[in-house]
Amino acid sequence: MLELLGLTKLYDGTPAIQDVSLTVRDDEYLTLLGPSGSGKTTLLRLIAGLERPDAGRVRMNGTDVTALPAHRRSLGFVQQNYALFPHMSVADNVAFGLRYREVDPVTDDAEVARRVASMLELVGLTGLDGRMTGQISGGQKQRVSLARTLVTEPRFCLLDEPLGALDANLRERMTVELRRIREALGVTFIHVTGNEAEALAMGDRMVVLDEGRVIMVDEPDVVFGRPETVRVAKFLNAYNVFSGNAQGDKFGVGAHELPLPPGTQGAAHYAVRFDTASIARGHGTAPAGHAALPAKFITSEFMGAKVIYFLEKDTGGVVEVERHLSRADPVDYTKDEPVTVHWDLADVTVFDTDGRRIYSPEALAGAA
Amino acid sequence: MDVTAGGVEAQQVPRQSFLRRNHHYFLLLPGALWMVFFLIVPLAMMVYVSFWTQTTFAITPDLTLRSWQTFFASETYFGALIRTLRLWLTVLVITFLIGYPTALFIGQFVKNKTTQTILLVACVIPFWTSFLIRVLAWRPMLGREGAINIVLQDLGIISQPIDALLFTELSVIIGMVQIYVVFMVGPIAFMLARIDGSLIEAARDLGASSLTIFRKIIFPLSLPGVVVGAIFVSVMVLGEFATASALSGRKVNLLGNIIVTQVGSLKWAFAAVIGVILTVVMAVAITVLLRIVNLRREL
Repeated sequence: MLELLGLTKLYDGTPAIQDVSLTVRDDEYLTLLGPSGSGKTTLLRLIAGLERPDAGRVRMNGTDVTALPAHRRSLGFVQQNYALFPHMSVADNVAFGLRYREVDPVTDDAEVARRVASMLELVGLTGLDGRMTGQISGGQKQRVSLARTLVTEPRFCLLDEPLGALDANLRERMTVELRRIREALGVTFIHVTGNEAEALAMGDRMVVLDEGRVIMVDEPDVVFGRPETVRVAKFLNAYNVFSGNAQGDKFGVGAHELPLPPGTQGAAHYAVRFDTASIARGHGTAPAGHAALPAKFITSEFMGAKVIYFLEKDTGGVVEVERHLSRADPVDYTKDEPVTVHWDLADVTVFDTDGRRIYSPEALAGAA
Repeated sequence: MDVTAGGVEAQQVPRQSFLRRNHHYFLLLPGALWMVFFLIVPLAMMVYVSFWTQTTFAITPDLTLRSWQTFFASETYFGALIRTLRLWLTVLVITFLIGYPTALFIGQFVKNKTTQTILLVACVIPFWTSFLIRVLAWRPMLGREGAINIVLQDLGIISQPIDALLFTELSVIIGMVQIYVVFMVGPIAFMLARIDGSLIEAARDLGASSLTIFRKIIFPLSLPGVVVGAIFVSVMVLGEFATASALSGRKVNLLGNIIVTQVGSLKWAFAAVIGVILTVVMAVAITVLLRIVNLRREL
């Protein structure tokens, strides 16, 4: 178990990480989502021991490791740029930690070779051990970097945007690979990313970081379906968020009023997921139990299995609507055509003036 | 059908003339001419002249091995070769021992790029005065009545002035190291500054101590800089004559000094022999240094 207790780190007086407390469990895949500048790399470096916190403690299995340097914590850190040693072969890179660590190095060459070979097999690089790092592809470098860290059997492995430099195809494969490798070894992965899809897809649990603070920690389906604050909803890039104010059971967005679900007095933000909204031609009224908002069509993006429609509200501001082609056929609209966006009132999420959630749909079907 | 059409078309395209196809090689012409007339021809001449017959006042193009035999039979001349090699290796080792830690400080411990540049420029400041002044300035430092002896005597560390400081091999070594050490610092500092900090962090995270990181990561990655620096120092020290004559009182004769004397007394054939030997020594030294690292791969 890895515990962060009130970690704070200042750079030139400005906090990069503020009072972060978090418990990381053994044998879990934790993703850490945050936009650039949210302090996610700083947090990782604090955990790794590459930076010293200005306040707070880091505890591993109950032992305080805050003062320990990086090489004395049994942590692995896979750097964003892989940081492979350019003058060594793949096998020597992977063997580095075993051979040269200060504490308990492996001196038996046969033992080193055996462990390197089995790790290369696990990451799918058998046969490349003699290559120099300049002669392998980006995806292979990433695996070497991972193997080099994992061969030392750390209990926690920190991955800094591990898929960031890979092309889309490879990223998809590594997503599956990373989960498989983690499960095979039973190591805890802490995976930092700025990509919400990656954080949702890979994590057993995910942490959302904003301006140096943790704003939500939960399982991905909960984070996605019931964001705790309006900032979380915005990061997920799956919600249309309207800001306004409530008058009675109506929510004012510009000149329009949207009905509010029951018990949501004091609403300040109103969020509708892209995939729960629908579009109707013309400016019309909403079906019963639905809210409606007039808009005009701007453009659409064909994504294969789905189409994303971009609409503009009368008062300006973009509204996105996703239409899944397994459910409905795509519809063509002309530019600036008046349309009405409508959604079931039961599907909205509402936040109060502090940005805290006060209403959300029932948990996703199938979620515990 | 497409294939035949392509074939016909290919035949219809007129072949460009030889000159037109290869005209980019003309870019090499000025450089090539310069190198042929001022490097290759003189080198060939030097080898050729070394076999000419030398008499006291004249030289004739009758081929003989006489000059070569004189060189290897003479204690003075062969001794100068040995002395040159010994001095070169000593200076090389000392410039490395002084230069590497300096470069390590500038390249790895100074994080600010501007400060790095300022420190490297500071290394070059001595070059703002002329070579001769820098060499001759050692005389009042090292001499019998020089600064070092005065200070040591005043401090009571020695009672008699040390004579060995000036006009010995030691003074030549001191002078050469001071002049050439910067050529060692520059390339090494450059290579060290290029090492990605994340490599060192990765090695540290994998559990390696600072000494291991230096031995296994930093030093191997700086080796190309060491080799380039060593080549600079070697080429300059092997051909040296001015420092030796100014600081040894003509007692320490290097191959370079002998060439100067022989040319001065119009012994062209003999000077050519030493020239050939010096060229061969340099070529061997550079080849050995390049064997240490594959510069093409590393740079």
